[in-house]
Amino acid sequence: MAVPVCAACSNMSILCLFISIISVNCAGNATSDTINIFAPVELNSTYNFTDIFTSTEPTTSPTWSSYRPTEQPAVAAEPLPVSGALSSAVTEAARWCPCDEVAAVCDVNCCCDGACSEEVALFTSCSVSAVRSGSQQLCSQDVAHYTLRTTIDGYSELQSSVQMETNYDIFCIQSQNRFDGLSHPSPPLPTDSNFDSLFSQFVSFMFGPEDRDGVQPADVQALSGYQFGDVLATAEPSGYKGMFYLPAAGVTADCVNKSPAAFLEDRSSRCSQRVVLDADCSSLQALRMDTYTNIQLFAGKNPDAAVVPVDVASVTLQSTEGAQAELAVSGGASVLPELITPTLCANVVLKVVYVIKHNSAGEIENASVSVVLGFISEAGTPLQQEFQVMYIQDGGERGIHHSGNPGYVVGMPLMSGDRATDGITRSIVLKDTLSLLGSTEDQDCLWGRHRRSPVLFGLDYITGCTLRLEDITNCSLVSQLLLDVLRGPHYPHYVASFGNSLLENVLDWVPVKTNINPTEAQSCNIPLSLHLEVEWTKYGSLVNPQAQIVNIREVTETNRSSLERLSGGSSILPIRSSVAFIPVSATALPGYRATPSIDAKLPFDFFFPFV
Amino acid sequence: MAFYEVYAHPALVRYRTSVCTKATLFLVVVLCLTYIAPLLVAYRSQGFWIKRKTYEEQPVVRFQYQTLLVAATSLRGDYVAWSTFPHLNNMLGANLRIPAVSVREEDRNQDGKLDLLTFQLQLPLQPDEQVYSVQLLLTFSYQLFRMSTVVMQSLAFVQHSSPVPGARLFISGDLRLQQRTPLPHRGLYDIYNVSVIDGSSPFASAYDLNNIMRSYQERNLTTVLSCPTPVWTVGRAAGSPFELNAEIRYPLEVISYRPGFWETIKFAWIQYVGVLLIFLWVFERIQRFVFQNQVIRTVPIPVGKPHLS
Repeated sequence: MAVPVCAACSNMSILCLFISIISVNCAGNATSDTINIFAPVELNSTYNFTDIFTSTEPTTSPTWSSYRPTEQPAVAAEPLPVSGALSSAVTEAARWCPCDEVAAVCDVNCCCDGACSEEVALFTSCSVSAVRSGSQQLCSQDVAHYTLRTTIDGYSELQSSVQMETNYDIFCIQSQNRFDGLSHPSPPLPTDSNFDSLFSQFVSFMFGPEDRDGVQPADVQALSGYQFGDVLATAEPSGYKGMFYLPAAGVTADCVNKSPAAFLEDRSSRCSQRVVLDADCSSLQALRMDTYTNIQLFAGKNPDAAVVPVDVASVTLQSTEGAQAELAVSGGASVLPELITPTLCANVVLKVVYVIKHNSAGEIENASVSVVLGFISEAGTPLQQEFQVMYIQDGGERGIHHSGNPGYVVGMPLMSGDRATDGITRSIVLKDTLSLLGSTEDQDCLWGRHRRSPVLFGLDYITGCTLRLEDITNCSLVSQLLLDVLRGPHYPHYVASFGNSLLENVLDWVPVKTNINPTEAQSCNIPLSLHLEVEWTKYGSLVNPQAQIVNIREVTETNRSSLERLSGGSSILPIRSSVAFIPVSATALPGYRATPSIDAKLPFDFFFPFV
Repeated sequence: MAFYEVYAHPALVRYRTSVCTKATLFLVVVLCLTYIAPLLVAYRSQGFWIKRKTYEEQPVVRFQYQTLLVAATSLRGDYVAWSTFPHLNNMLGANLRIPAVSVREEDRNQDGKLDLLTFQLQLPLQPDEQVYSVQLLLTFSYQLFRMSTVVMQSLAFVQHSSPVPGARLFISGDLRLQQRTPLPHRGLYDIYNVSVIDGSSPFASAYDLNNIMRSYQERNLTTVLSCPTPVWTVGRAAGSPFELNAEIRYPLEVISYRPGFWETIKFAWIQYVGVLLIFLWVFERIQRFVFQNQVIRTVPIPVGKPHLS
C-alpha cells in the first residue's frame, strides 16, 4: 500500500524533505507499507524529524527489540532477521554519510563523519563533497555540500550546508508518488516457511555441495546384465565392489589410471605414465602386470552375480629393439617388474588388451587379457602405455574388419592381399595391409628401425627418409634394399576394389601396377621416391555413392643423373614415400535422348517466402 | 483588359472500344508492363527478398560455476589440475590441487542483466613447482529473448603458456557470441541447452579437452572469450600462490536472424511499390498520348453536359 502524499515544491526557498518510512507488518504476511511525506522546512532552520509509523496492526513485539540469540524462540514462520523488520534506507541528505566506514571513529577525509569534529582541522580534502537525497531526475532535492576552507593558521575548517538543488531540465520529476519508481522494491522478508522458495527463486548457479551420491543412476533391478555404457563392477579382496579400470588420457596426455571402462564400448587408448625409475620400478602399480591381470569381474549388475576371473591369454616380452617373444607363464603367476641396472627396469607393462565375452543378456561369461611387457630406461620415460578393451558376444568371433560396406569409408585402411591358387589371401592383422614408410627419429632409410603406417582410404600422405651417399657401396644391393624398405616387409600385390570384397572373387581385386622392371639392371638406379596413385570412383546412386578403387599404380622414380648432383653436395639424399587418391568419377553420361525443354524457369527463390 | 484564370477543373474523356481490337491488346500489354515489370526490376536489382537481418541484444549470461583448471608445473610436463566435477577430481589423484576461487558477477548499469564476471583463483604451489602454462575452462548459461528465445550452455576457454614461470595471469575480455547460420525469427531454440561437460560421467574421456572442444565447436552457436592481451606477470615469490584474475564482460551482441514471412513481404512491398510508381507515371503518359492522338483508333466520348435542360 503506497500512500501518495505529494506536494509540488517548486519554490527555491522551501526545502522539501523527503522522508520515507517503511514499516513492516511482522504478523506473517510480510507486506510493506510505504509512506512518503514531504515536510516543508525553511532553510537554515533546524530539522524537524517526525517519524511516523502507521500500521493497522501492532508492530514488533518487545522481545524482538534486542538481539538475544539464546532466548530467541524457534517459532515457525517468523521473520528471520532478529529485528523483525528490514531496516529502512536512509534517504535524508544531511544524515547520510557514505564514507563513514568506522563507527564512532573519525574516518580520514570523510567530511560528513560526525566523529571528526576535532580531526577536521587536519583534513586536506573531502572524499565525499556532495550527498544527494534522491534521484538526479527530481526537480528539486536536498544536497548536502561539504567543503574545506583553510584558516589563516593553515588548518582546515569544515563548511557544510544543506541546500535545495533545482533541476532546470524540462522533464524533471516534480513529485514522486510511487516509491517503487526510483528505488528498489522492498524485498519480501524471508521466513522459515518461504525461505526455500525464495532461495530457489534467486539462486540459479553456485559453488555448492555436489551431489556425490548421484554417481550411479537408479539401477533397473529387473536387468541382471550390464547395459551399454555401464561401468563394469569388480570384486575387491576387501569385499566391496570396485570398478574395472582402463587407463586413458584425461585432461592431459598422462594416464588417468582410475578411468573406468564402459560395457560394450570398444576403446583403445594410449597415454603416458610418469615414472621415476629407481623408485617406481617395482612399486608403481601401473607398471605391474598383476594390476591388470588380477581382476575379478562381476558377471552382472545384481549383487549375487557370479564372479568371472580375468584369464591371462598371453604374455609377450618385447626387447629393447622391439622384437617380441612369448613368455610361458604358468597358472596365474605374474612377471613383476624388477630393476636390472639402475637405469633399466624390466618386465614393465607396455600394452594391455582385454577381450571380454558376454551373452545376449549382458552378462559377462569370459574375460581374457593379453599383456606386452618390456624394458624402460631413463630415456624412455614418461612411458607410453597402450590399453585396449574389446567386447565379443558369445558365439561370435573376433570379426574380420571390413573397410566399408560396400564402398570404402574415408579413413579406413585399404584391403590388400596376395594371389593364391584359389583366390586371394589376406592377413587379418591390420599391420600387414598396404602401408607406407613412416617417419622415424633417426631419418635413415637403410639403418635403424622402420615404422610403417597403413594407407588409409581418401587420405593423401607424404613422408620420407634420408639416404647417405657414403652408404652406397654396392649400388644394386642398396637399390634393392631401399625398394624393400619403401615397400615394406609384406608388400601386397592386390587391393580390393570395395571395402568388403570377398577373397573368393578374384576379379574384385585390383592388381598393383608397377613401373619397375626387375630385369633392368644395366646401370645403378637408386629409387628416389615411391608414390602410390590410387584412382577411385563413385559407384551407385547419387544419394549414397560408394567408393570403388578402379586402379592402383606404384610409381617409382629413379635417378637419371649422378647422385652427387641430386644431393647438391650435401651427401644426403631425401627419399620420398607418398600416396595420392585421385577421384576419377566420370561426369553424368547421356543415358537417353530427352526431348529438349524450354528452360524458362524463374529463379529458385523468386517466390521465396511463399514456398 | 487582361484575363485571369478564375477557375479550373479537369475534364474526363472516355475512350471506348470493343473487345477484339488493337486498343484492347494495347491495354493488356500496358497493364502487364506496368505491374509486372516493376516486380522484375525490383527482383533483378538484388535484395528483393530479405534473407538475413540483425538485431542488438545484451544476452542474459550467468556463470554456471563449473570450472576446469590445468596448470603445467614443470618443464617436464608435470601438472596440477582441479575442477568442480567430483569424478574428475577423484581420477586426478595426486595431481589434484585445490585452489581458492572467488567469483563475483556484477550488474553495472542496473538493467537486470549481468555485465561482468570477476573470477579470481589462487593456486597454491609446492616449493619445487612453477607455473608455465594455464588452461582454464568456465561454463556459462546464455540466454537471448528478443527474437527467438535462445537458451544454451556455453563455455569460455583460456589457454596461456610461457617459457618463463609466472606469478600472475590477468585476463580481461569479452564473451562473444559466434554463430554460423542465422537464428530463426521466433520460437524456442534450445538444442544447445545441454551440458558442455558431462559432469556425471565417470570416464576420463568425458573430460578430455580435445573431446570437449571438438563437440563444442561443431555447434552453430558458440561463445568465445575474446581476450586479445592476456597479461603474464613473472617473478613469483617463493611460497606465494599463482594467481589467475579474469574479468569477463558480457557485451551487447549483434545477432543475425532470418526474417519472418511478414517482415520479408513488408520490405519486398516497399521496393515493389517504389518502382511501380515510376512505371505508373510513365505508362499513364504513354496511354494518354496514344489515346489523345488516336494512334490506336477508339471512340472518344467527350465530356457531356451534365445539365441538359
